[in-house]
Amino acid sequence: MGEVGTRRILFAGLFGAAGAVYLALVGLYTRFADLELVGEQVTLGRLLLAAPALVAAYAVTKPRVAGGERHMLGLAPGLAVGAATGVVTGVAFSAAVWFADWFGVDRIREVFIQVSTVLIDFLTLDKGVPAGLLYLIVLSVAGGLVGGFARTAPVEVRRPATVGLVAVFSLAMLQRIIPIMLIQLGITADWLYSPATGGLSWFGAAIVFAVAAAASVLWSRAHEPRERIRKTVQEAPAAKLGLLVVLLAVASILPLLLGSVISEVLGQVMIYVLLGIGLNIVVGYAGLLDLGYVAFFAFGAYTTALLTGAFLNTTTGAVEPVLGADLNFYVAVWIVALLAAGVGLLIGAPVLRLRGDYLAIVTLGLGEIVSVITASKWAQPLVGGPQGMRGVSKAEIFGLNPQDNAQHFYYLALAFVILALFISWRLSTSRIGRAWTAMREDEQVADAMGVSTIKFKLLAFAMGGAIGSLGGALFAVSLGSLTPTSFEVLVSITALAVVVLGGLGSLPGVVVGAMVLIGLPGLLREFEEYRLLIYGGALVAIMVLRPQGLIPNVRRSRELKEEEVEQDAWAKTLSGEREAVVGVVPGAGLGGDREDLE
Amino acid sequence: MATTTDERLRGAQLGVLERLPWRKIILIVLSVVILTIVVVGAYKTLTLPADKAYGANAWKNFIVLGFAQGAIYALIALGYTLVYGILRMINFAHGEVFMMGAFAAFFFADAYEASGFLDRQPVVSIGILLLVAMLTSMLVAVLLERIAYRPLRNAPRLVPLITAIGASLFLANTARGFFGSQTRGFGVPEALEGTWTIFGLTLDRVQVLVLVTVIVAMVALGLFVARTTTGKAMRAVAADNEIASLMGINVDRVIVTTFAIGGLLAGVAAVLFALTFESVNYFMGFRPGIAAFTAAVLGGIGSIYGAALGGVMLGLLQSLGPALILTGYGVPSPFQLKDAFTFLVLVLVLIFRPGGLLGSGDAEKV
Repeated sequence: MGEVGTRRILFAGLFGAAGAVYLALVGLYTRFADLELVGEQVTLGRLLLAAPALVAAYAVTKPRVAGGERHMLGLAPGLAVGAATGVVTGVAFSAAVWFADWFGVDRIREVFIQVSTVLIDFLTLDKGVPAGLLYLIVLSVAGGLVGGFARTAPVEVRRPATVGLVAVFSLAMLQRIIPIMLIQLGITADWLYSPATGGLSWFGAAIVFAVAAAASVLWSRAHEPRERIRKTVQEAPAAKLGLLVVLLAVASILPLLLGSVISEVLGQVMIYVLLGIGLNIVVGYAGLLDLGYVAFFAFGAYTTALLTGAFLNTTTGAVEPVLGADLNFYVAVWIVALLAAGVGLLIGAPVLRLRGDYLAIVTLGLGEIVSVITASKWAQPLVGGPQGMRGVSKAEIFGLNPQDNAQHFYYLALAFVILALFISWRLSTSRIGRAWTAMREDEQVADAMGVSTIKFKLLAFAMGGAIGSLGGALFAVSLGSLTPTSFEVLVSITALAVVVLGGLGSLPGVVVGAMVLIGLPGLLREFEEYRLLIYGGALVAIMVLRPQGLIPNVRRSRELKEEEVEQDAWAKTLSGEREAVVGVVPGAGLGGDREDLE
Repeated sequence: MATTTDERLRGAQLGVLERLPWRKIILIVLSVVILTIVVVGAYKTLTLPADKAYGANAWKNFIVLGFAQGAIYALIALGYTLVYGILRMINFAHGEVFMMGAFAAFFFADAYEASGFLDRQPVVSIGILLLVAMLTSMLVAVLLERIAYRPLRNAPRLVPLITAIGASLFLANTARGFFGSQTRGFGVPEALEGTWTIFGLTLDRVQVLVLVTVIVAMVALGLFVARTTTGKAMRAVAADNEIASLMGINVDRVIVTTFAIGGLLAGVAAVLFALTFESVNYFMGFRPGIAAFTAAVLGGIGSIYGAALGGVMLGLLQSLGPALILTGYGVPSPFQLKDAFTFLVLVLVLIFRPGGLLGSGDAEKV
């Protein structure tokens, strides 16, 4: 333990305990106490109980950089440090629980509504205080050991173990989908998922772990053939095409495998994929942070409704809107996209000169103006005001009925998404895409090099707006009716979270981001309450820990890496005196001063 | 030869188009349109038949309400302005710092109301509420800086902003998880119900309290920044953090102090806001936060007096604007559009005078 100071262990442990208290107060433990993941014993709640110690131990065993070299702990000291951190976390958290029990649960409940006897029972495994607290400490120590192990075990052991655990966890979390898929494929799922709990059975979990770990070992061993495959794929466009065809085929049979309930969730995911693709053009490619993206979403939805003959809801019945048409959806949607591109120009034009955070706030303001006005009585004759509209086109085509059938809706959405992906991909690799990159990196240099920043900014707003409005059009079709509560600032922030989580500028990232942020809460209803909390936490965590996102755009991540290298170089030159100067130097690079120097 | 002439001609034609100051033309047209709308609307409102028009009393109420509202905005705006002045970053989560303070005060107010302490000792209890809210908001602001913003000091500019948005969402939903999602009634001491007549003006007692407290807080802040060593250090860091750090100023500590002061002021604003509207909920930080940010920008972000001026102006605009301008056009329930007014003002200020009223008017800084 000597290599990691006692103070650091104490600090990390207390930090973990604070995290556990937070999770308890915010209600995550009680909410997930009964979500069984593996067998009857491993519930998500209990996993979360061990998580703070795990994270704390993982953080405290971080390799230290001193004199430009990384010092990694060995396995034994790593485990010891992990266990010690777990003990600190467990004891501190137990003390908090004991205090709560002594002080009176009902009195605390007047402020923190989640504190109840149910919570205390869960935390102490129904054994009561103080006997049950031992269980709490044991669980924390286990978490700490896993955290220490995950950091310090030799890579040959650590990687397969991590892959195996992640596979088990993912399959357990997807317990509402995978069994249905297996049954649709004609495979009995009872050996894998226990019918009694809904989660994985111990046997199934062991198999999954073994298979995933073995696959991971094989993957690392087969380094050379893997490289060869990668090269051939990179050099042969046919192989890339083949991969795309396979992906497409999987995407198109998905709703048949999953049934209509999950297809509905997939449809929602697709809408946010569209929003993400559009916003990605504005934020990811062109570097213009648009917080009013909901404006395009609302515009697309309402214009689609108006153009396809929807009615206004009023207290006296349905009324025709002042402006409206009765077009086929497949005609209307192109008009909507064109108009939205026009709106993008309109919004973009006045804010051309603004940069960075000011642009973000102005677009936030414009988005809010749109949602305040659509919800006001003033807009009643035009878009229905607070009561909204109904009777949006059912968008029937080729015998498909997207509005009433979630599977059919998925196909419609998939078509739109593929179109948007294609456009976005072609744009990003074209001259326009390079102009956007140049502009994002340094507007003035780009301007000096002959990139017309005005033109390309407007183009980004127009393209982003058009694609976002398609998302709105789909949304209108999927519900058949519209109310202004669906068009609040949260849509903008959710879309931003999708783009940021996946990785700014990365198209696969958008798809994955939407699946994680929209799909998971849609599938696990237990998460619904905590959706926004998780979005917020994810935005902060991604920006602090992994700013390039889950699936980074190659070029973008290279840029971020370079910056990191520069920072490292700075750290290394100072490494000797680093501890001494650290209090003063960070001020040297305060955000934004680079721009002020321009 | 012919082609060169053609080219030169085309170049000349393009030159004429490009030399026209399009931006200026658009801005002038836009400002004429907006002015016409405002003037016509105001004229129509003021010439409405007596049975439809607002009486003198109503206008007076709007103005007082605008001042009180604006004073609260000004206090929150100071938090944005101080942080922006030093870090060049919009602390989007400042509205949630304010909300947390309001919740902390609520639990004390609730307990005091139940025990009757609130009515027996209004001065002491309001003092305690202020203290509790200030400490809570300060703690949240400092934690926010430490956990979410400090690791990102050297990051590209958008990164801390996205983090701040995430922090805002996270804090609001933390409050929802901790305290529940329902709106709670905030108790007001009996001594503050009703009105006082000062200089022939009949004012709500709460509004008097708001105005007095805000003025005291502003003066205290002004003195702090102007007279104390820490205040001097803050100004030095705002002017040039690099030089300041070379002069032996601990920049980190100054930044933490700035966040702490912003939090303290937000705590004061939270109690005043809760007393005015007599309720608290977990999403109460968003709209006032944006409004306060608008106020800061309106006055000139980075300037303390600008925040005060911007706050009061925005408060007046919000309370007078819809009534004065929209009523004339026969817009039903004009106050639903109050927030649209806020944002419109924000957008217009940034387009026409990005430096704000007291700022330099320099667009490049933005």
